[in-house]
Amino acid sequence: RIQERQGSAAPPCPSPCQCEEDGIFVMVDCSELGLSSVPTNLSPLTTYLDLSMNNISEIQPRAFHRLHLLSELRISGNQLRYISGHALQGLHNLKVLMLQNNQLERLPDDAPWDLPNLLSLRLDANLLSEVPAGAFRGVRSLRHLWLDDNSLTEIPVTALDSLPSLQAMTLALNQITHIPDYAFTNLSALVVLHLHNNKIQSMDARCFEGLHSLETLDLNYNDLQEFPVAIRTLSKLQELGFHNNNIKAIPERAFVGNPQLQTIHFYENPIQSVGKSAFQFLPKLHTLSLNGATQIQEFPDLKGTTSLEILTLTRAGLSALPLDLCEQLPRLRVLELSYNQIEDLPSFYHCSALQEIGLQHNQIRRIELSTFQQLVSLRALDLSWNMIEWIHPDAFTSLHSLIKLDLTENCLSSVPVAGLGGLTHLKLRGNTELYEAFSPDHFPRMRVIEMPYAYQCCVYGSCDSYKPASQWDTEQSNTDEDLHKRTVAMYPIHADAHYDPDLEEFQLEIEESKLQTSVQCTPTPGPFRPCDSLLG
Amino acid sequence: HKQIPGVSSGCQQGGCLTCSDYNGCLSCKPRFFMHLERIGMKQIGVCMTSCPPGFYGTRSPERNTCTKCRSECDSCFNKNFCTRCRAGFYLHLGKCQENCPEGLARSDTQRECVS
Repeated sequence: RIQERQGSAAPPCPSPCQCEEDGIFVMVDCSELGLSSVPTNLSPLTTYLDLSMNNISEIQPRAFHRLHLLSELRISGNQLRYISGHALQGLHNLKVLMLQNNQLERLPDDAPWDLPNLLSLRLDANLLSEVPAGAFRGVRSLRHLWLDDNSLTEIPVTALDSLPSLQAMTLALNQITHIPDYAFTNLSALVVLHLHNNKIQSMDARCFEGLHSLETLDLNYNDLQEFPVAIRTLSKLQELGFHNNNIKAIPERAFVGNPQLQTIHFYENPIQSVGKSAFQFLPKLHTLSLNGATQIQEFPDLKGTTSLEILTLTRAGLSALPLDLCEQLPRLRVLELSYNQIEDLPSFYHCSALQEIGLQHNQIRRIELSTFQQLVSLRALDLSWNMIEWIHPDAFTSLHSLIKLDLTENCLSSVPVAGLGGLTHLKLRGNTELYEAFSPDHFPRMRVIEMPYAYQCCVYGSCDSYKPASQWDTEQSNTDEDLHKRTVAMYPIHADAHYDPDLEEFQLEIEESKLQTSVQCTPTPGPFRPCDSLLG
Repeated sequence: HKQIPGVSSGCQQGGCLTCSDYNGCLSCKPRFFMHLERIGMKQIGVCMTSCPPGFYGTRSPERNTCTKCRSECDSCFNKNFCTRCRAGFYLHLGKCQENCPEGLARSDTQRECVS
């Protein structure tokens, strides 16, 4: 530390700051010291100066004029309202300037900051309601600009014209309502643009002209009424977000100009209709989520969108699926089509990577042999709340990875068990014509099973202390002998007369048996749901 | 550069809204970033005007959070855009790569691809 070597040639360290040597240079930390002005005796060899979290409300002219080697200056978290061009004179080598979390209300215009090598400028969390036209004339090398969390009502179009090297910018959390044509026309190097949490209602069709390098565009949490067709000029776009807006339709060929798109987030929009060709020719798109678009009657044509891995299309009006669905989407891993009106299923044979299928709440009646053939990676299959009456005996034989099968609320009178040996979760509740009590041997790994009737759980030892109702009424005492009777009734294997279990040993045995074969089977038999089937 | 700029621990921090001596800041004043700093086995809540090196800040109306940059970045603008690379990587248009595009050379001092 500099303080200990004050006598030698080490550069002076202004008290009460802390200094650290960096070769012949010095890094100065004056943060959180209650300072009300910039220390005056700063060494010209200072390369890093942290004045953050103090009470500085003004920077005296030429405060930094000797600091030609300063690379990073942090003045965030103070009470600065204005910083003139003269205040930052002399900072020829400054690369990073942090002014966030101040009270800045305006920026200099006619005599702007002269920081020719500045790369990163943080102006976020201030009170700026506008950016003067000339504000950035002296920072032409700027690459990263933070203007988020201010009070801007417009895109500072003219000021941005001075920034041909800008690569990343955030204008989020402002009050911007409209994006005019050619708003970013000079920003040919811009890669990232954040505009989330504004009040953007409309955008001119050519507002993104000039953004030849843009890869990420964040329009989330705005008030867009129409699909942003202006994105058509963004040929390099990879990540697009416009979720939490007010968009009702996605037009035909919506992303024809964006072949590089990998993710599109547009949930929380009242989307009713989607052009059939809207999501065509997006070879890098891996996730597509559409929920509640009730006017979608036909499955979208996904020609050329061959990398899709997750497709969610719920609460729409689909009644059928294309027969060549899996030819178009060979890499599909998750298919979620719940809450539609699908009746017939194609064969998912070519979707060999499928791991999850959600088809609950549709109108499916039959499961054919070919429907789920060769889906060797399928882990979860939800067919609940359909009208399934029949399942081909070998429909599940090749589902070696299946662990969860939900057939709740269907019309099944039998369920083929071939191929279901790996299940840990099986749900059959609501299939009122299904009386069969499945032997545990079919499901050696079962952990949770739901049956239509309580007696079907008895094979899983879930009867515990519940005997047929008649025996339960007459013997209400709790003597050791009674415990013995209940044990015999519950576990016939202990029926031999010589077995005289010690109570403690017996309870241990109960606990152990619960651990080894504890299959949670419901509904649990009880006094009013006896183990014996009422129907004999 | 300084590891954690402008921050003291416990309840003396300027950005804290609520805090406890044991856990540091529990919530931050508006416009401050909340970051959980690991000190030994403990996690201390810290309120900052900018996230520590290796993290980027995301502002939203409800809260301001710090999120880790990609492993090859020393600092970044968001999860897909680096502003400074780790040693052995070179920056070009927000990407940190071990090699530079054709026509650009690797600068070890700046850790960038330069013409």
